[in-house]
Formats: sequence, C-alpha cells, structure tokens
Amino acid sequence: MASTAQELAFSSIEALSARIQRKEISPVEVTQTMLSRIDELNPKIHAYYTVFHDEVLEDARRAEQEIARGNYRGPLHGIPMGIKDIYEMKRTTCGSQALQEYAAEEDCVAIKKLKDAGSLILGKTATYEFAYGIQSLKSPVEPVRSAWDLSREAGGSSSGSGGAIAAGMAYSAMGSCTGGSIRWPAQCLLHVGLKATYGRVSRRGIYPLAWTLDHPGPLARTVKDSALVLQALAGYDELDPASANVPVPDFTAKLDRDIRGMRIGLLADLYEKSCDPKVLEVYDKAVDKYRSLGAEIVKVPSIGISELEAIEWPTLWSEAAAIHVRNIRNRGDQYNPNTRQFIQWGLLVSNAYYMLASRCRAQVRDDLNAALTRDCDVLMLPTAGFQGPPPVAEESPGLNFIGSAFEIYTPIFNFTGHPAIQVPCGFDSDGLAVGFQIAAKPFDEATMFQVARAYEQSEPWHTMHADI
Amino acid sequence: MDSREMVIAKLAEWDIVPSEEDLAELVPAYEALLKSQKVLESMLRTRSMGNAMEFPLSEPAVIHDMGRYR
Repeated sequence: MASTAQELAFSSIEALSARIQRKEISPVEVTQTMLSRIDELNPKIHAYYTVFHDEVLEDARRAEQEIARGNYRGPLHGIPMGIKDIYEMKRTTCGSQALQEYAAEEDCVAIKKLKDAGSLILGKTATYEFAYGIQSLKSPVEPVRSAWDLSREAGGSSSGSGGAIAAGMAYSAMGSCTGGSIRWPAQCLLHVGLKATYGRVSRRGIYPLAWTLDHPGPLARTVKDSALVLQALAGYDELDPASANVPVPDFTAKLDRDIRGMRIGLLADLYEKSCDPKVLEVYDKAVDKYRSLGAEIVKVPSIGISELEAIEWPTLWSEAAAIHVRNIRNRGDQYNPNTRQFIQWGLLVSNAYYMLASRCRAQVRDDLNAALTRDCDVLMLPTAGFQGPPPVAEESPGLNFIGSAFEIYTPIFNFTGHPAIQVPCGFDSDGLAVGFQIAAKPFDEATMFQVARAYEQSEPWHTMHADI
Repeated sequence: MDSREMVIAKLAEWDIVPSEEDLAELVPAYEALLKSQKVLESMLRTRSMGNAMEFPLSEPAVIHDMGRYR
C-alpha cells in the first residue's frame, strides 16, 4: 500500500529500529524502499551524487542475517543513511570539478564508526563546493531542491543530506558545519540539525573548510534520532588534533526528563533587532511554549550580529584560503567562480585581523561559558533571522552578502565550540519553516537534547513531512 | 592606493592575478572587511580583553576546561 510505503520512508530511526530489532521488518526491505525512492525522486531533488545500489543491498542482507542470529548491534543497525560528499568514502568530489577523479583509499573515521554501529550507507550526498556557504548557478551541479517546494533550494551547504531526508530518501544523513551548514538546511526543511561540541566527533578524513570552525554532525527527523547518531559518532581520536579525550555519556539518558525549573537564556542582543518579524513571531511562540512547560526564561547579554560577522567570516575564509591557495593559483579555473573569489577574499585578511578575531572569539566563548555556569542551563535563539529556503536563484549571490544584512545566528557556536541543535518550530505566515537553536555547556549535549526534546514532543512539527 | 589597487597588490603577494570578474566581487568585499576590522577594534576597546598581558586563548580546544569558569 502506498500509505505504508510512505510511512516507512518517513519513519523516525527510533520507531524503525524498534521494528527492525523485533524482526517485524528487514533492513533489506527498508533499503529497497529507500533505493526505489531515490530512483524515482533523485532526478527531481538532486540530493545524491552517488548511490551505492549493490553495495548497500549487500550490507543490508548482512545486517538482516546478523540480526536474525541475535547479533543486534543497536539502534542504527540496518538503518540507511546518506553521507555528505566531503567525507572520504570511495569517490569523494566535495562538489567540485577539481576533484571529480578523486577516490578515497579508505573510509573516514565517522563513516567507520557508523558502519560499526550497523548503519547502511546509501550514497554520497550533494554539497556546495568544498562546503562553502552560498549556492551558485555557475556551478555545473544542479542545486538540491526542497521536497516541500521544488522551486526552492534545500539550504546548505549540507544540501543533499537535508534534501534526502526531506524527500524520504534517508533516515539521517551526515553534514558538516563551519558556520551553519547543518542547522540552516535543517531549518529550511523542518528537520533537526546537530553540531556537537568541538572535539566531540573526529574530523579525520573529512575535507576541511576551516580547521578551527569545522564540526561534523547529522541531520535527522527528531532530537532522539540525532542523539542516537551522535552516540555512534562520538569518541576520542588521537590522530585528530582537536579531538577531545573526554568520556562519552549516554546522550539519551535525560531525554524524557521534565524541564520544569530549568533556566533558558535568550541571546536576545544577537537577534532582537535584526530578526525578520515573521520569523520572530513563530520563534516567540516557541519561547512561550517553554514557559508553559515550566522553564524559566532569562535574558543573557551577548554580541550583536555585526560582531558575529566580524569574527566568523574573515576567520572562516582566511583558514579556507590557507587550504586552497595553491590550487587556486594553479587551477583556479576548475573552481566555481564564487568559491575562488571567497578564497581570494580570505587572502586579503591580515594576520593582525585574524588574531584580533581570535581574541574576540575567545572572549565570546568565555562570556557564554560564564552565563551557562551562573545564569542559565541552556541558551536559545533563532537559527536564522531571515526566511528560507531561498528560491532557486537565476543569478549567483556572489560575495554580496558580505557587509550586508545576512542574519544567520548559527556561527556563534562554531567559533565558540558549544554544542548546538536546530529544532523546527513551525511555519511562518508565508508557509516557510522556522527553527530555533538550543546550545549547552561544552560536552553537555545530554542537557541540550533534553531541552530540545521537551519542546519537540509538545508540538507536531516532527511528525510532518513533505507529500512527495 | 585605492581599494582596487590594494586588492591587486595583496593578491600579488600570493602570485595571484584576479580577473575583472573577480575584482568586481572582491573590491566591495574588501571594503566591507575594513569595516569589520573596526568592529573588532571596538570590541577590544570595550572589553577587558584589551589587556595584552592576557594570553590569546584563541583555540577552541581549550573549551575542554570548564573548571576554571566556576
């Protein structure tokens, strides 16, 4: 029945894994459903660059046999996922013409961990070139479309990962976040997007955009699904210099606890003046919902949007320039013109600027840590202050966003390193999805999940999906 | 030097010659960068971190130590 296939395609991992464990459904059946949908829908959505039809079915049969023998590995066993094409696994293009022939010799750490947990890799998903943040029609690659509205993009840079989940072509998919590339497409598509604490997940084998800002993480349908994926990913990697040698707790331990009496700190200085009123109206209802759930709402002083931008973008692009400068010089024509220009812009950032930004960044991090220690349990703010996702553009936005209104509030936690999650909170008056972020103390993802889940379970948004 | 000449000179340090198409994007972006620089300077003037005797805790890796904030 069509409705059953639809329900299966848009299931949460939590629900699906329970059925797999009880042997009510086979990983082979689940995987075949995903592959059928990809065959049908990917030509419209453009979420996948590469699909591993034969390999993933073979992996699914192996998972089926293991589970039949009683060797159930856990909630990701037999769950099909997508992987952003900057994670090393077979052909890895980073969405660039410069890397069309590159094939990784081995899987990156994150993929090995997901495979160890039993997840099934459906394929490699689309990304803006080298995970940089603005889509361009000058790219030879078709933009990923939103399943909610095919005339609109999916958001990015983890556009294929979000696009695949929104179209029922994956249960979760890995993204990467340097300034918001997980949380922004998650907002656009009514998903949950997770960036754990800097150092929680190994970056080894993932193509860098900016070393001190990059965070790997999943997009998923629910808060609990995000926690389950993080459980598989987290852990110390001595070969990643930023990896933190800290214990990995049970990220689901506090999920169903009451939040009455918890203090939620609003970073109002960052968004109150710059946020689109249509977005703010929906966000304010989410704040009110938290009040009704018994949380105490407090305001926490913070930087404004111009300070955020002054720290984030030059830091990001000067680090990216250090990575790409040789290739830009020798084969810049193989880059998307906008990517090339961003990298050239990074070369204009002086070393003194970079150090000033680093010191300001440290101050912001310390201020937020102090607030999270003294004033509140978690922080809350909108994911972005403008409506999205944008229509598929006829012209590239280029570097025009620099110095103009570009009110995305996600980068603050990239440069401070705090864990942050995007939670969908409904639709604005134009029917576009809106979301908010919850951030917590470093390595306290469990509290972040607890607060995010409390809201999620009080509203219907996580049960909704595009009719495609 | 005007902004266009500055952009050309700075990229020349890296043996990069921008195209006219590149310059059309880069020159206003460079001018925006100079404004951002002033924003950062303002942050330093208004915060105690302007004290240069403090170590530049610029690496987020030190976020691992929460104890010192208590």
